[in-house]
Amino acid sequence: MSVNVVMIGHVDHGKSTLIGRLLYDSESITEGRVEEIQRLAEEYKRRFEFAYFLDSFDDELKEERTIDTTGVMFKGRNLYSIADVPGHKEFIKNMLTGASHADVAVLVVAAEEGIQEQTGRHAFLIHMLGIKHLFVVVNKMDTVDYKEDVFRNIKNKVAQLLASFGYHDVDFIPGSALEGDNIYKRSERMPWYHGSTLIQTLDGVKLSREVKPLRFVVQDIYAVDSDRVIAGRVESGALSKGDEVIFQPSEVKGKIERIKLFQGELEKAEVGDSIGIVASCEPKRGDVCGLLANPPLPTREFLGEAVLLGDSLRKGEEVELRCGTRRVKGEVKEIREKINSETGEVMARNPDHISEHEAATIIFATEPLVVEKFSDIPELGRFVLVRDGNIGAGVVLEAKV
Amino acid sequence: MQELKDLENKSIYILREAYAEFKKPAVLWSTGKDSTATLWLCYKAFFGKIPFPVIHIDTTYKFKQMYAFRDNLAKQWGFKLIVARNEEAIKEGVNPKDGKFECCTKLKTQALMKCLEENGFDALILAIRRDEHGIRAKERYFSPRDEDFKWNYKDQPLEMWDQYQSLTGDKTHTRVHPILHWRELDVWEYVRQENLPVNPMYFARDGKRYRSLGCEPCTFPIDSNARTIDEVVEELKITKIAERSGRAQDKEKAFTMQKLRALGYM
Repeated sequence: MSVNVVMIGHVDHGKSTLIGRLLYDSESITEGRVEEIQRLAEEYKRRFEFAYFLDSFDDELKEERTIDTTGVMFKGRNLYSIADVPGHKEFIKNMLTGASHADVAVLVVAAEEGIQEQTGRHAFLIHMLGIKHLFVVVNKMDTVDYKEDVFRNIKNKVAQLLASFGYHDVDFIPGSALEGDNIYKRSERMPWYHGSTLIQTLDGVKLSREVKPLRFVVQDIYAVDSDRVIAGRVESGALSKGDEVIFQPSEVKGKIERIKLFQGELEKAEVGDSIGIVASCEPKRGDVCGLLANPPLPTREFLGEAVLLGDSLRKGEEVELRCGTRRVKGEVKEIREKINSETGEVMARNPDHISEHEAATIIFATEPLVVEKFSDIPELGRFVLVRDGNIGAGVVLEAKV
Repeated sequence: MQELKDLENKSIYILREAYAEFKKPAVLWSTGKDSTATLWLCYKAFFGKIPFPVIHIDTTYKFKQMYAFRDNLAKQWGFKLIVARNEEAIKEGVNPKDGKFECCTKLKTQALMKCLEENGFDALILAIRRDEHGIRAKERYFSPRDEDFKWNYKDQPLEMWDQYQSLTGDKTHTRVHPILHWRELDVWEYVRQENLPVNPMYFARDGKRYRSLGCEPCTFPIDSNARTIDEVVEELKITKIAERSGRAQDKEKAFTMQKLRALGYM
């Protein structure tokens, strides 16, 4: 099974070091890499760090902090793709890029510092992105003499914070990435802890795919021999030959005549399949296809929760929205609540704008667009805000208002 | 294999997004395993044809087996091939002995730059993978390059879910990386599953094989007894040797790869 993991938490709490430790202890580091990093550390007059397996920009080494997200893969019981993300507020954009693909988040909290600004913000964002599996590593236990009471104290506070974001009964692991305690190998320095190591916890994750209604997004129409082939991907549910379908918002109905691949055909396509359809109608790029019995519904207004990474976003402002393969003109019709992305607290009701790094519940007015409630069909329940580039992202709370 | 199917589905999705979003894309082909697999993914994405040109950057220093492989496959698969060369630099006799950094920049990056200018491509599809090199692990699927061809790696776009940033604005072009999420092992398992042609230099002769193919003066074989695809797959499951260990330009100095790539190297 492939599992995408993101390491989150405040700067210097040890995210990169923790991943470096996982790679090192699982013997996933290639030959000569350790020596290479030792040479580099000497050249730049730095102490050898496991983090340098991840931080490969010279600026990251010089500044001793992660700037951009890195993706690394290693094989445990599962095949893990791990995203390391920066812990600075200025790099939240890179953090979200790394976190958006995650199935599992590991929140790293340093034992000697406890909850800091990005601890809260990252946890809030992970919750907003709908990442269900969350674990906490209380890291740097070596700096507090591996004391149980320090761990308990942090655990209580972090558990309280996480509960406010809807995470309950979260597993906490006391560890030290630097010393290798309870990350890949079980530590003997904390006999009071009887739970799992981080790798055991990750190996125990079970991802389930629920059965959902069919949603197929149209990427393009190609002329192939004498056929008009509708190219796209099954985002949820399944699609079979003979199905009666509707494409929205184009509002064209038809029957699936054939499901094409480059070589051969399918009787049935499943979630994730990039396929071609030959149907008795012609939709457009951006359309969403569903069964007539359970069709996608286009909307002109929806309620979303979004985080802003650009300058500011004002009530009444036009902004491009992207969902699935469709881009539309939208408008910020109403900002219901401005939310502190560090704590999840409501800062203001009905404000006229929000600023960088703030979150908000917003009613968007839009050209006809198919969106789904995120909790129903996440693949079509998330959107990106565009204004000279991607400036924000969010999830759909209500597909109709 | 479900894992390969997942990788392939995602790559096809990315290729189709690139084709839909850009006016004039092209795909880079080094003749190596990764870019050959990428050409195959293009055939799958577009149902049997590659709807844009295939660019081969010819430094003139490639192995002769690579030229032979290139010409054979281009003929056999029948795609439109553009051979890009920096003729000026070749005439001047630029070579790796005078410095690998300059040589790579002139014969590869600048050859590509000229080809882009002449043809007006706004997107380049490249077969780089995150697990090849730390600096490539930092890449986005869609990665814009500025007017000077440069990669502003300190300020990369927000790329969430499958929403890739395809705005060009003042950018020269966007790099598209459809197999960024594949591992070396995945590529070989895919080559095996799809029965794709690969250069015989990848297989061991007299205890040595090439893991990664580049220019003859700067590419070295590794110790290996893997003589077939099956043996290569088995070797990769246990090896601790880095894939690009036989590529000299990566190792000239610390951060050479970052500096090369910041200038527009692949």
